[in-house]
Amino acid sequence: MKLRDLARRATGRPTKLVLANRLRFETLLSALSAGLIHISAPDTEVAIKRALQQVVKFLGVDRGGLDEHVDGSPGLRLSWARPGLREPPPATPDDQFPWVGAKLRQGEVVRFSRLADLPAAAAIDRASFERRGTRSKVLIPLRAGGPILGVLWFASVRDGHAWPDDLVERLRLLSEAFAGVLDRRRMEVSLAERLRFEKLLSFLAAAFSHLSAADFDPAVQRGLRQVVDFLGVDRASLIEFTRDGTATRSWAVEEWMNVGEFPWLTARLQRGEVINVSQVEELPDEAAVDRQSYLANRVKPQVAVPLLVSGIVVGGLIFSTVGAERAKSDELIQQLHLLGEVFANALARKQSELEALRLRQDLTHIGRVSALGELTASLAHELSQPLTAILSNAQAAQRLIDADVVELEKVREILCDIVADDKRAAAVINGLRALIKKGETEFVPLDLNEVVGAVAWLMRSDTIMRNVSMSLELASDLPKACGDRVQLQQVVLNLVLNGLEAMREPHAGPRTLVIRTARDGAALRVTVEDSGPGIAEKDLGHIFEPLYTTKTEGLGMGLAIVRTIVNAHGGAVGAENNPAGGASLRFTLPVNREPER
Amino acid sequence: MTAAAPLVLVVDDDPSVRKSLSRLLESADYAVEAFASAGEFLARGPHPGPCCLVLDVKMPGLTGIQLQEMLTATGRRMSIVFVSGHVDVPTSVKAMKAGAVDLLTKPVDVRDLIAAIQRAMTRDEHERASETRLAEVRRRVAMLTARETAVFARVVTGMLNKQIGAALGIGEKTVKVHRARVMEKMQAGSFAELVRLADEVGVTVPNS
Repeated sequence: MKLRDLARRATGRPTKLVLANRLRFETLLSALSAGLIHISAPDTEVAIKRALQQVVKFLGVDRGGLDEHVDGSPGLRLSWARPGLREPPPATPDDQFPWVGAKLRQGEVVRFSRLADLPAAAAIDRASFERRGTRSKVLIPLRAGGPILGVLWFASVRDGHAWPDDLVERLRLLSEAFAGVLDRRRMEVSLAERLRFEKLLSFLAAAFSHLSAADFDPAVQRGLRQVVDFLGVDRASLIEFTRDGTATRSWAVEEWMNVGEFPWLTARLQRGEVINVSQVEELPDEAAVDRQSYLANRVKPQVAVPLLVSGIVVGGLIFSTVGAERAKSDELIQQLHLLGEVFANALARKQSELEALRLRQDLTHIGRVSALGELTASLAHELSQPLTAILSNAQAAQRLIDADVVELEKVREILCDIVADDKRAAAVINGLRALIKKGETEFVPLDLNEVVGAVAWLMRSDTIMRNVSMSLELASDLPKACGDRVQLQQVVLNLVLNGLEAMREPHAGPRTLVIRTARDGAALRVTVEDSGPGIAEKDLGHIFEPLYTTKTEGLGMGLAIVRTIVNAHGGAVGAENNPAGGASLRFTLPVNREPER
Repeated sequence: MTAAAPLVLVVDDDPSVRKSLSRLLESADYAVEAFASAGEFLARGPHPGPCCLVLDVKMPGLTGIQLQEMLTATGRRMSIVFVSGHVDVPTSVKAMKAGAVDLLTKPVDVRDLIAAIQRAMTRDEHERASETRLAEVRRRVAMLTARETAVFARVVTGMLNKQIGAALGIGEKTVKVHRARVMEKMQAGSFAELVRLADEVGVTVPNS
């Protein structure tokens, strides 16, 4: 359409040669324009370069080129020069070509047939052209409806190449086709970029979604590394704020960012502000400490976005980059906000998981202490026996020594007994300490038979007092499990206490408690079997639920704690009534796969 | 009756406690016999000489308190010193009400233990003596004829000879003879002593 308009307008001086030439050129231009319409982004450069070559040859000039500008910075740069001619160095319009640059920015075409045609105001530009060996040139701003995307130019190393209006008009049409291609390419590239970013976001979100607190650190490091690679920034740090608002931890790629060295930045992040510092000079006076840190660490331009979870600042994401322009870009800030959300969610999840872990530890601690309360009587008995023996033996020895004839052999024997009983008392106390200890979970390969044995030993006098006969049926050659010894003792203890409680009510028949260990496929099974009244059918599915109790006394937490601990060990719990009466409660744990240390 | 050394019977399920207590008591010149359970102790049978029981409260099978109840029920008198690691108040009250000499908390200091054992031995001696005396009075009562017993029972309630004679359908003189026989057989030096002896064995007037 436009070509036809042009053709009509250009019928000014209709000489035959000119007409024939024009026809050839129009044919070339329309072919080129048509060819560029469906070009895809990756093929753009080759296609444009080929077009430049054809136009240069047709016009009989020496060089042709296309310089793209992206947000004021140089972008794509394509040129073709006749063989034997140097390709020109990349143009830097504003310092070498101030006059030309200004004209182009205004959307004007610049053309000269010889350097002398340039006005006095273009003195600097003239000198630059001279240095480059350019004698004649046309420069056409590239635009596709919107802002100027760059410049299309053709140049000759000889004087006198004319740039008539109709030629310029045609070249302007060509430039529009080029601009269209560039615009499309830019959109495609930014679309692809955006797609890649979406992918990164969803990848990170997925990576953080099933993160246990223990895996958090390495996962965040990996995430930051991916972000750094994707955005092409230098460094990325994640800082976390605690509830009281102090910055606690940070994770960083490349360099550890010491939060304490940036109080101003940290304070502003905590207020939920986005901070963008391209140069140290931009920092206000109150950021004196930060300024020192920037200088000392040679920190590059920085962008920091706050991480918010339901309106509360939980941390900050900080990037530093080489390009100051880049740091100012709205698109980057936008991307950082989105990334910030992903990291904020990860932080929030980690915090809530840690909270849950702490609650669970508190709960098991409470469970242990309350189980301990129930055990106090038997433990006191357990301790008083060796202490009684020690005191009696010691006082017997004192009397023996006071006698006229000291029977040394007897005294020696007594001392041996005292040592043995003292060790026995110490073992009781250690067992007690292990139960009370509010420890961190420590997973180690362990022998379930030992765990069961320790609890049975502890419960010995309790079962005696309750008139229950307890027996162990332990599988030999049982593979090791992996778990926290104290917690698993707690599990067995609670199951045993539950069994004893079940047999509390007066009932006929023997009062027996059997603890069994067995291998169960890929798992290990511990069963505590009592001869109590059994569990009502309606309760069977609920007894491991918290606060569910069929007893008049007790919190209903004992078996809930069992389930919590067993589940945390990757195992399962179960309960059933025995055919011969009474109930069997069991738990299974996976066989240890870790190599033994 | 042989003059045996005072015997301490120790019942405790814990072997080292048994061993050490035995040692300690032997060092204090007691004869000691130790038992691992109430059942073992009961199988031993009563000891004729002065003795006492050092008994653990909590034991498998029969507990110390249950053993005490059983001894009382079967009329086997024992001076008991309880020792225990941890005793709740109701259990202690029960033990003391049932006549325990003392209840000591483990670990037991030798002075407390020996003091308690001495008290138990003293009580054992007293009870043994009063048992011996009671047996003697009963022996004397057993020597009385039916008529003498009837007179004895009425005399000590303060009835006059005349009233007794009327009640039994015999003459006053006959009552006097029976009364003199009773005084003699009961070896009572005075009427007051006769009343005391009657009290000891619990002589009562038959309702007939």
